[in-house]
Amino acid sequence: MNGYLAGAKAMDYEVLMPQFSDTMERGKIVRWLKKEGDYVEKGEVIAEIEAEKAVMELQSFKRGTIKRILVSEGQEVEVGKPIAIMELGERIEKPKVEEKPKLEEKPKVEEKKPPPPPKETEKRIELPPGFASPYARLLAKEKGIDLKELQEEGRLPSPTHAKDIEEFEKERYFTPKALELLREYELSLEDLLKEFPNKKIDEDLLLAYVEQKGIPRRVPVSSVQKSLISNLSKSFVVPHYHIYEVFDLSLVPWDKEITLTHWLIKVVGDAMQFFERLRAVYREDHYLIYPNSNVGLAMAVGDELYNPVIKEVNRKSLREIAQEVRELRKRAEEGRLSLEDIRGATLTISNLGMFGIRAFDAVIPYGQVCIIAVGMQEGDGKTHMTFTFDHRVINGFHGALFVKHLKERVLDKNYIKMLKKGA
Amino acid sequence: MLYRDALNLALDYAMEHDPRVVVLGEDVGFYGGNYRVTDGLYVKYGPKRVIDTPIAENSIVGTAIGMALMGLRPVAEIMTVNFAMLAMDQFVNQMAKLRYMSGGKLFLPLVVRMPQGVAKQLASQHSQSLEHFFASVPGLYVFCASDSISAYHGLLHAIRMDDPVVFLEHTLLYGMDFPFEYVKNFDPFKARILKEGKDITVVSYLKMVHDTLKACEWLEERDGISCEVIDLTSLRPIDFETIYESVRKTHRLVVVYEAPKTLGLGAEVSARISEELFYYLDAPPLRIAGEEVPIPYNRKLELRAIPTPEKIYERILSWSKSHGL
Amino acid sequence: MSQTLTEKFYYLMKLGREFEIRCKEEYLKGNISGFLHLAIGEEAVHVGAVVGFGKGDLFCPYREHVLALARGIDPKLIMAELFGKATGVSKGKGGSMHLYEPKMDFYGGNAIVAAHLPHAVGAAYARKLMGEKAGVLCIFGDGATNNGTFFEAINMASLWEVPVLFLCENNYYAIGTHVSRSSALRDLYLKARDYMPAEVVDGMDVFAVYEAVVRAKQYIEEYGKPYFIEAHTYRFEGHSMADKGDYRSPRELEMFRKRDPIDLLLKKAYKEGWLTEEQVRLIDQKVEAVVEEAVEFALSSPEPSEEELYTDLYCGVCSDVIP
Repeated sequence: MNGYLAGAKAMDYEVLMPQFSDTMERGKIVRWLKKEGDYVEKGEVIAEIEAEKAVMELQSFKRGTIKRILVSEGQEVEVGKPIAIMELGERIEKPKVEEKPKLEEKPKVEEKKPPPPPKETEKRIELPPGFASPYARLLAKEKGIDLKELQEEGRLPSPTHAKDIEEFEKERYFTPKALELLREYELSLEDLLKEFPNKKIDEDLLLAYVEQKGIPRRVPVSSVQKSLISNLSKSFVVPHYHIYEVFDLSLVPWDKEITLTHWLIKVVGDAMQFFERLRAVYREDHYLIYPNSNVGLAMAVGDELYNPVIKEVNRKSLREIAQEVRELRKRAEEGRLSLEDIRGATLTISNLGMFGIRAFDAVIPYGQVCIIAVGMQEGDGKTHMTFTFDHRVINGFHGALFVKHLKERVLDKNYIKMLKKGA
Repeated sequence: MLYRDALNLALDYAMEHDPRVVVLGEDVGFYGGNYRVTDGLYVKYGPKRVIDTPIAENSIVGTAIGMALMGLRPVAEIMTVNFAMLAMDQFVNQMAKLRYMSGGKLFLPLVVRMPQGVAKQLASQHSQSLEHFFASVPGLYVFCASDSISAYHGLLHAIRMDDPVVFLEHTLLYGMDFPFEYVKNFDPFKARILKEGKDITVVSYLKMVHDTLKACEWLEERDGISCEVIDLTSLRPIDFETIYESVRKTHRLVVVYEAPKTLGLGAEVSARISEELFYYLDAPPLRIAGEEVPIPYNRKLELRAIPTPEKIYERILSWSKSHGL
Repeated sequence: MSQTLTEKFYYLMKLGREFEIRCKEEYLKGNISGFLHLAIGEEAVHVGAVVGFGKGDLFCPYREHVLALARGIDPKLIMAELFGKATGVSKGKGGSMHLYEPKMDFYGGNAIVAAHLPHAVGAAYARKLMGEKAGVLCIFGDGATNNGTFFEAINMASLWEVPVLFLCENNYYAIGTHVSRSSALRDLYLKARDYMPAEVVDGMDVFAVYEAVVRAKQYIEEYGKPYFIEAHTYRFEGHSMADKGDYRSPRELEMFRKRDPIDLLLKKAYKEGWLTEEQVRLIDQKVEAVVEEAVEFALSSPEPSEEELYTDLYCGVCSDVIP
């Protein structure tokens, strides 16, 4: 029925984006002239492709049936990438129509080419004493340094370059601690040598100099901070709003083992099960709703701010949550937080109550839909909590309902008792 | 804006404002230009001002000279610099010398545009870099452009000039997209400092500029060497003043160019700096250039014949290390 | 043929002849150096063509003295240029082969054989584009017709329909190579006949040349299309001062000397009564005086200054038409 020769197997053949000209790097499918299931002869035109302002016809190099079209009309791909799959051979009666899974569109990451691996680089040229670059000679003359003598003594290399003289001067005039300060404050060697001629410069002298001149110290931005900054900038454009409420947390029996924060994580996590939008991730034309509640916690470790995630809070007990939070903190302190530890939350809790802050509002972490800013619990149990919601996912109505639900939850004696028992 | 669109824009602007500007070359009119640089001009200005010539390079430049003598402002296109060899008499014996030989009586306000350089496996006769041939002839001006801004403004300036200009482009740059803006008082005679630095002065032009910038990025990130990258927009005359100023600061010079090393433009820059700033130099000048071979067809070999970002990075690094940086 | 025209012809041809002879003398004295290409024997073509063409741009190769004189450029300035003086046509920087005077539409002298043909085509194109009908006169030798550039120019002139008169002065020799040894087609006008109207003319007869050129000019002005004339002529001297010309047989030289263009002119002029002996004598005197004056001027002119080495390389002007 298929007409295949006995023993011959049907083969899958990849139709690739052709390179029509030597400078062409990508092409766009303007129009498919054949569809899935169509049989094509060798040489038949199967598509129109636009590249470099010209529209070219793509002829099929093989005889067979279009099994699957990978790149749709209007899409652009790189030369050499597959655009369709053909089953080679004679015309087949029943075209196989497979339900093709939705291809996850991988975000276009700008390929940053890494530098080539370090090779065994050349060693310095070595010559007998007496050689120096013209500029080094000039410098030596200015500073009254006898190049040849120092070269013979072995204190300067031959040939001497400007940098060698600089190093020599540094060693001669600065203590090691002073050199460190020199780097930190990015001071000019020349200026300092002029300021303190013929003197050994130590740490104290430099600090006094720095203070007198009011020179600032340069602190590099850490990579953790850099990614936080980048994410914050992205969060800034999200349309959001705040709901501010005063919660009565007097009924929550927190202690040193299971703190208020742990309780809040659990209560919020449970509440999220009733509000699917709070377990959602926004994807332009659809939401992805996760079955479980993944709650993030803002955690300050040293100078850095981390946001690790406690997954599936709804399925964990208070004790488990407390344990996990402690573990996460430990990992953060050791700098061992993995990608899994910080991904997946849809909501974050940030508690500044321990610093005596009464109320504040927070920025929704990038990719999430809500953040709860918890203030200090006052004597009568009253705590100010500010909710920031992503308006694209949770409108005011839903937000209010959620807050109302939470307010009731923390005053629900039976619920609290159940949690305490199960902890 | 794409590099070729910037050139197109410049031609369009010039032709619109000055009726004396005409464009001539092979396939520049009806076809729209082999590299699409003259796209749309034929339709807009007609066959009298956008002239398709037969394949006769000597006469393309020759007739352009004749037109220029009469007061028109022709912009001739030679499809690639490789074909310009057929017109060398017109470039060197005529274009460069007519004004001088006539005691200043003749004016030659013409521009000849040509792309050069290695593209992709076009083999030796289509891949040469011959800027030094033209830049070594007194009587010519030679401009080049490495991105859309210098392409647009440089070409426009060349058309405005009443002297003959050879305008060099690069085949691979045509399809590249560069940031574009209108710059007031763009001076092609002034080299551009594309990246400031304090350790090494690196001079380059045309496509090599971009490879150089990539290599300098790596040098900065990985090895903490800060390079100052200078882009030449004029190859005759070369803006030595800018280079001097930079070398006085860094005390080191590297020149990167695609043509074979021997007797290329880098030789001139190296020699000139050595002559003028000998006592300021902390290391001998370095030239990173193409190999002394015709460009082969095989892709791997082809890439070995010209500088690449990796090569530039490695050479500058090992040169720095062996000379005490 | 009018009397005044004949007088003009005689004056210019005689002036050309005497000028060239004097150049030879000055060269041997050391006042002129380098290349010196004399047009002795070719005066009929040069004078007849320039006078016949009238208004229009003139492009020619290095054997150009008589052409320049016929165009009306001051002999003093030409001689000064040959002497390399600052008062010369090209300020002493061009020499014998590079005389240019755009004000008189004289675009001189080119040392590269056939290189100026595309210049002429381009210039004619420009003139036509600018609406001027006068056309361009392009003179070249037999040797140029074998050059690739010649064929390019003929093709382009015909393709673009530009008003160029291609005038080939066939003096049978390209330095030492006879035209039969370098050109497969002996009749050079045949090389252009399929592209444009082409004719042959006796280049020793100034009247014939004149009439042919006038006809051609009419054609060019009316139709704006190119025309080709081959003029058979002969140079009595070698190719240049460095060449004795002894590859030519004395018999051949003798044969052509019998057809010296000036003699032919006088013969006809006397026969038709266009000139009298008295007139001729007066003209001869005048010519002598002019040539003498030219040499005087050249001798007494200053050399160019040292700075002139660097001037006139570029004009440094930018047009402000494009904003």
